[in-house]
Amino acid sequence: MTCTLFCSSLYGEHHHLVQSPWFAPVMTLKTSAPLRAEPKKKKKVDPRREQMLRERLKKKLKKLEKVPPELIPIEDFITPTKCLDETRERTAPRLSFEESEGRALLLKEWCRYKQKQHMAEVEAVELALEAQREALEELKLESEELYRAALKPDPLLIPFVHEGPAYTPAIPNYDAPDGKYNDITKVYTQ
Amino acid sequence: MQQKKMAAPCGRMASRPLLQFLSRFSRSPVGNTGFRQFSSATVCPVCLQRLPVISADCSPIEQQFKQMLHQIELEKSVLSDHELRLLEDAEKMSRKQADDYDSDEEDSHGDKEIMMAQDLEDIWEQKMKNFQPALRVRADVDKDLTSAERCLADSLVLLAEQEVGDEKLWLLPQTRWQEGETLRQTAERALTSLPAAGFKATFLGNAPCGVYKYKLPKAIRTENSIGTKVFFFKAILADGAPPKTKKAPFLWVKKSELQKYLKPAYMMKVERFILDL
Repeated sequence: MTCTLFCSSLYGEHHHLVQSPWFAPVMTLKTSAPLRAEPKKKKKVDPRREQMLRERLKKKLKKLEKVPPELIPIEDFITPTKCLDETRERTAPRLSFEESEGRALLLKEWCRYKQKQHMAEVEAVELALEAQREALEELKLESEELYRAALKPDPLLIPFVHEGPAYTPAIPNYDAPDGKYNDITKVYTQ
Repeated sequence: MQQKKMAAPCGRMASRPLLQFLSRFSRSPVGNTGFRQFSSATVCPVCLQRLPVISADCSPIEQQFKQMLHQIELEKSVLSDHELRLLEDAEKMSRKQADDYDSDEEDSHGDKEIMMAQDLEDIWEQKMKNFQPALRVRADVDKDLTSAERCLADSLVLLAEQEVGDEKLWLLPQTRWQEGETLRQTAERALTSLPAAGFKATFLGNAPCGVYKYKLPKAIRTENSIGTKVFFFKAILADGAPPKTKKAPFLWVKKSELQKYLKPAYMMKVERFILDL
């Protein structure tokens, strides 16, 4: 109703429709020229520019990838600088001649002792193997079926876990105190 | 050509039932003539070992070497944090006691370090004294041959007293082999059938570790069983002390003590696979 009145006022003055931008009729608000304008910036240069950017990025990525991955440092092989501090050096004692001689002789004794131990171990193992071989031969003579059953590997045996000897035997019903620790090991990723 | 092809498989087919026939004979129990069969008098003893629980004592040369190594390591090392702190504290004390001591310098950071390194050491010593580890060697338990806790530094073998023929002998625990079971199952049965046993053991593999043949005395010899074969199996005692039962005919012995209890020929075969390392 208001728009018709407005239009009649316009007509009233001049008796023809005034097409001025300032008095654009409300009906045509939604379809006026400036509002109808779509972004007309579709220049052909832009997609090319975007493509160029992408190619440059890809090339940079490839160059970065070509670099071989950094090796993870082995912390055990790097002497921490704390240990190379001069103030930490001990005064090296002077060894007497007898003592150094004694040490050399003890080393040789140790060598001989260890060799005897090793040979004894090897011999014991060989004896045990020989005993087993004889047992299997006898079993073969007795019955083929049991021999084959004896040769089958035992899947339940592996993995075999046994706790080795400690310095003192375990105290029965010992309640060990709880402890806290913070794990500060460095984890490297390639 | 075709005939040859046919002949080969036929030949194999013919030999298979023959082999089966023969093997069936060899497996059958007493009652057959001529063939050597697996007599049911075979026994499967089990060699149950309790491995050492504590480390063995060092021999004299080992002790000497240990001390020497310790000294060399000490000489070649650098001072640790704790030792540096001890030295610093000693210096501070000596400076305090000197006449020209300027307390203002020191007390700027003096409130923090009331705890001296020596005090820390004393605290640590106290803590260590509060903890009582179990005794390594207990003389009374060592002499008790039936206990599995004796001689914790050596590996022990279980012996049981069993009747063989007419005599009571000390042997590794055994039972007779029965039809239809493998030798290892017989050995497992031997372990579980011991009176008041309750031993948990892990058997090391399906194969026997030793064999002992003996001929029965002529009184018991029959046509079929001239002698028996004894196949030994090895097992390791799993953790957890078995319940102590008195008057049970068991002995836990070290390898050196085995000779007192076993017969010489038996001992010769047994000691080969018992490793005392």
